[in-house]
Amino acid sequence: MQPLRDLGNAVAVQLFKHVPWIGEQWARRHRVVEATTVPWAPVAKRVKESSVALVTTAGVHLASDPAFDMDDADGDPSVREIPSDVDPRLLTITHRYYDHRAADRDINVVLPLERLRELVDEGRVGAMAPRAFSFMGHIDGRHLATLMERTAPMVAERLRADRAEAVFVTPA
Amino acid sequence: MGLIQRAVEKVGIPTIGVTLQKEITRRVKPPRALFVRYPFGHPMGEAFAARQQRAVLLAALEALETITEPGTIVEPGWAWRRHRFD
Repeated sequence: MQPLRDLGNAVAVQLFKHVPWIGEQWARRHRVVEATTVPWAPVAKRVKESSVALVTTAGVHLASDPAFDMDDADGDPSVREIPSDVDPRLLTITHRYYDHRAADRDINVVLPLERLRELVDEGRVGAMAPRAFSFMGHIDGRHLATLMERTAPMVAERLRADRAEAVFVTPA
Repeated sequence: MGLIQRAVEKVGIPTIGVTLQKEITRRVKPPRALFVRYPFGHPMGEAFAARQQRAVLLAALEALETITEPGTIVEPGWAWRRHRFD
């Protein structure tokens, strides 16, 4: 039955992409970890003087790194590191729940490494943090605890070790 | 994504995220967000549309500097495939 499930998933992915109403209905019912408070770290420096890091949940990773686990219905709460000066041709995407054909051709659709580099070269951004971090943003059930207690705090610590002063996050 | 932003803010680093789904963002409550009405899988726009991708990134970085109210969602209002980025 796997081919049938794959087909069903492929149809759903296209519907979500092309019919905004379906996405809105999904969003209304989708279980999220609802927050009661808003986190807030103040911005201390101008962006043009800051080191900016990229984080994405679009399932990007070096092709030489292990792929995200797509067989687990609760997703994969692990994280992959991407050197900021990577050759984009070395990157790939493992994520079955969105249409990444555009991002497969141009990684900047989900992870704007080249756009950020250009802004640094123009002096509009102070610097680019040495590495980006990538998750597979389809995490549920038992893996939520792993994300909240382990991988997300670990990435936060690594961003601090990298002296990142601002973080730009992209979904899929 | 909100959970990751939460962890990063907690160590003192400010974050801003692109959102494609405002309803989710309202519930997840990230500190700062840029909402673009783009299809899933295209937070920065279209492939090889460097001017568009650049505009999204610049709008987000500008919002990072200007948002003072936690939970603000900025909306540039660009129409998908209709807005011209010059």
